[in-house]
Amino acid sequence: MVDTTKNTLIYTTSGRKVAKPVNPNVAGKMISKAKRPLLVVGAELLKDEKLIEKAITIAKKGIPVAATGHSITALVDKDIDVKYINIHSLGTFLGDKNWTGLDGQGSYDTVIFLGHKKYYLDQVLSGIKNFTDLKALAIERHFMQNATLSFGNLKPEVHLEALDELIENL
Amino acid sequence: MSDIETGKFSIDELENVQITIGKIVGAIEKKAKEEGVEVGPTPKPGISGLRDWDHKLLSRYQPVYTPVCDQCCYCTFGKCDLGGNKEGACGINMEAHQARETLLRVITGAAAHSAHGRHILHHLIDIYGRDKAIDVGPSNLVAPNTQAVTGIKPETLGDLEEVMDYVEEQINQLLATVHAGQEGAAIDFESKVLHGGMLDHVGMEVSDLAQMSCLGMPKSDTEAPLVEIGMGCIDSKKPVLLVIGHNVSGVTYIMDYIHDHNLDDKIELGGLCCTAIDMTRYKVENGGQPRAKVIGTLAKELKMIRSGVPDVIVVDEQCVRADVLEEAKKLSIPVITTNEKIMYGLPNRSKDSAKDIIEDLSTFKDPGALILDYDTLGEVAPELAIKMSKIREDMGIKALPSDEELQGLSEKCVQCAACEMDCPANLPIMAAMKAGVDKDFSKFEELHDVCIGCGRCDQACPKDIPVLDMIEQASRKIIREEKGLMRAGRGQISDPEIREEGVNLVLGTTPGIIAMVGCSNYPNGTRDLYTVADEMLKRNYIVVMSGCSAMDLGMYKNEDGQTLYEKYPAKFLAGNLINVGSCVSNSHITGTAIKVAAIFAQRNVSGNYEEIADYITNRIGAVGVAWGAYSQKAIAIGSGCNRLGIPVVVGPHGSKYRRALIGKPYDEAAWKVYDARDGSEMPIPSSPEFLLTTAESVEELFPMLAKNCIRPSDNNMGRMIKLTHYMELSQKYLGHMPEDWYKFVRTETDLPLAKREQLLKILEADHGWEIDWKRKKIISGPTMKSDVSAQPTNVKRLCKGEC
Repeated sequence: MVDTTKNTLIYTTSGRKVAKPVNPNVAGKMISKAKRPLLVVGAELLKDEKLIEKAITIAKKGIPVAATGHSITALVDKDIDVKYINIHSLGTFLGDKNWTGLDGQGSYDTVIFLGHKKYYLDQVLSGIKNFTDLKALAIERHFMQNATLSFGNLKPEVHLEALDELIENL
Repeated sequence: MSDIETGKFSIDELENVQITIGKIVGAIEKKAKEEGVEVGPTPKPGISGLRDWDHKLLSRYQPVYTPVCDQCCYCTFGKCDLGGNKEGACGINMEAHQARETLLRVITGAAAHSAHGRHILHHLIDIYGRDKAIDVGPSNLVAPNTQAVTGIKPETLGDLEEVMDYVEEQINQLLATVHAGQEGAAIDFESKVLHGGMLDHVGMEVSDLAQMSCLGMPKSDTEAPLVEIGMGCIDSKKPVLLVIGHNVSGVTYIMDYIHDHNLDDKIELGGLCCTAIDMTRYKVENGGQPRAKVIGTLAKELKMIRSGVPDVIVVDEQCVRADVLEEAKKLSIPVITTNEKIMYGLPNRSKDSAKDIIEDLSTFKDPGALILDYDTLGEVAPELAIKMSKIREDMGIKALPSDEELQGLSEKCVQCAACEMDCPANLPIMAAMKAGVDKDFSKFEELHDVCIGCGRCDQACPKDIPVLDMIEQASRKIIREEKGLMRAGRGQISDPEIREEGVNLVLGTTPGIIAMVGCSNYPNGTRDLYTVADEMLKRNYIVVMSGCSAMDLGMYKNEDGQTLYEKYPAKFLAGNLINVGSCVSNSHITGTAIKVAAIFAQRNVSGNYEEIADYITNRIGAVGVAWGAYSQKAIAIGSGCNRLGIPVVVGPHGSKYRRALIGKPYDEAAWKVYDARDGSEMPIPSSPEFLLTTAESVEELFPMLAKNCIRPSDNNMGRMIKLTHYMELSQKYLGHMPEDWYKFVRTETDLPLAKREQLLKILEADHGWEIDWKRKKIISGPTMKSDVSAQPTNVKRLCKGEC
């Protein structure tokens, strides 16, 4: 079992409420229990073929995908439910009760983030943390202090191992 | 009774008494009245003067807050945790505090520009007098921002003083509201943000009008000369004088001294940041050639100093690193500060002789000097550079580590990741260190362009490894080849140019203006700018550059060895590339939009800001891109664009401005305006979709640009052109058709010609639109009508019968 909770060093300060470190098996079960999960993938995903594979595998478990930046280029025609959206807009719409989601089926309750620039996602998560009730789960390589739950700071190979374990628990 | 005039008067009966009348209250307004200039409802608006307009904008483009810090530490009640939108001890909640934080940054930026403007205005009035005429080229509307905001049509330098009085008073009022116990509503802080942004453009305009009028800068010159740019263009064998900052006042004395003493070929004069741009504009009108070279942006500042190449550094104001003196001292480079905004604790030598100062600095008695007397500065800087060049050569100054040392330094790395985590861009420094152990320094070389040269890696390293020096040493071959060309800043778009192109912009047949502005905090290196500009120019957009972005664009060449400045012409026409100039020249970009409303559409401009902004919002397809925005000035510039309805996209680092203005395309009620012909409501496309937002990558940026140039006033040809670009760019860079393309279709003639039949089929099959296939016409489906006579407006009072 991969322990993804050890290194939670924070490199910028942002307040008292900080993400709880989470292990991949718990994260996987949490996603499975969610009523309306949404996997949000960023363009950093494109720098690693293996990460793309992991994202597609998660999506194939029936989780809709919001592709931000130009990450959709690796996700179209992969038989998954994926739509492009700008992440700053997504962060805004997620907090709006009147938004019916990317598919018109209603709002989301759990949002999972993978493949984003650390500093950029940090800001988006800050908005979600302060102005919505959403559960935000960061399964990134870095500890995302503004998420509800986050993996700690991980080496790339450990990160991939952790994602495998998360997938096993979906 | 005769009118009192300005000037100096003696009174016969009184000996030794002279009365000076510098300014007559109401004189400008009186003159405007005499000339038949109609002044609109809001000359010199106070904080609440345009509040209704702001609230209209903000109801569609709602503030989105992403705090950098959840706490407030403004007063001794705190720190207060505002997390979850809680209230602090003073009662302010997170939303209002974030809006206040944004305001503070905007007015800081506006103050930087306007204080620069005031300084240069004082300086030039001292030399040329208040009656010196403003001359910015073949235009009647010489100060569009100033006139739209204040109602003043300035004609002389002296007229600009009253404009600055207004700007400074308003910035002071805005700053007061930041104090604890003042404004409590986020929405009104937001209105103040927009007010601060508007003031910024007036302050910038004053600054550039003054210097263009007096310093021989290009005046709407479409043939402004090309200027050498890049670290590689500096000849380090000569004495090198490096100038950093934004305010060219003092530097012109250095340039004149060099020229007057025939030192042009004996000294390398290079600049960083906007002073560099303005140095290359100095005395180049009427065919003069630039007398300085541009080294680059803020990102090159530390790298250039640490190269050890400069023999003397002169700084003025803005975007100058706080550690210039400390860094320079390590390499025996004297530093001269020339402006009260940056003095570095150096002794004030303004009243000393040039000879004494040169002697003291060249013998290292002091590491530098504050020189506020520009005549002295003009002599000291170049003469000291000549002297220091020899002294430093004899000293054998060694700046960067050798290749052998690079390997040793790589071995010191313990792969702790502190540098990567502290790096603003989280660059892969550890991998470079790992490869460096095996003498493979190519990964350091790869870091050079994406590194913004901040030096935080050095500070973070527990082993004191000079990471930035290693990157620079490993990249010296690339740096030597960093030679490009930038077109010198041409200043305003002239009135005749607006007359020629205005109609194409309003009808959309020129697909839009892409204004690439701002700083060098790019997410993925400088080349992205080139890629964006080239793609949009090929598609016939007008691309306008300024400041650091204008510099970085000149660093790249195409397969024919041409920079984009050489490849594309520089007129205000579709497919042209324009460099308006330095940071303060950004006012010419908003000025262009105002000119379209005033000249093409004949709208009254004086003190009529709301109507002008309303016109621009609904008709002019312009988008600002500040891809590497880092500064308070950049958010001030963006906010000034926003109040005019011009949307701005910043790169991902821009998310740290902590607030965006984003519309909700699914909220149909937000996308309606009045038709001024009868006051009826009309639906409009959800574009611009935002006033300020971020994009993650340039690939994402492309379709955003095309889509957000769509405006209600587009005619069918214009909409077809814009829609074609939106679809093509989305397919090219995101690999798919945009989901919402059909929402911009009003009639079949809005559809791209080559794909019309195919798209009609999609409209019928996927969206249930009714198509007459015999005539290939849309019968029902669109939510908007195509009506080129419609007069879209957000302002009810502008509708027929409302006034």
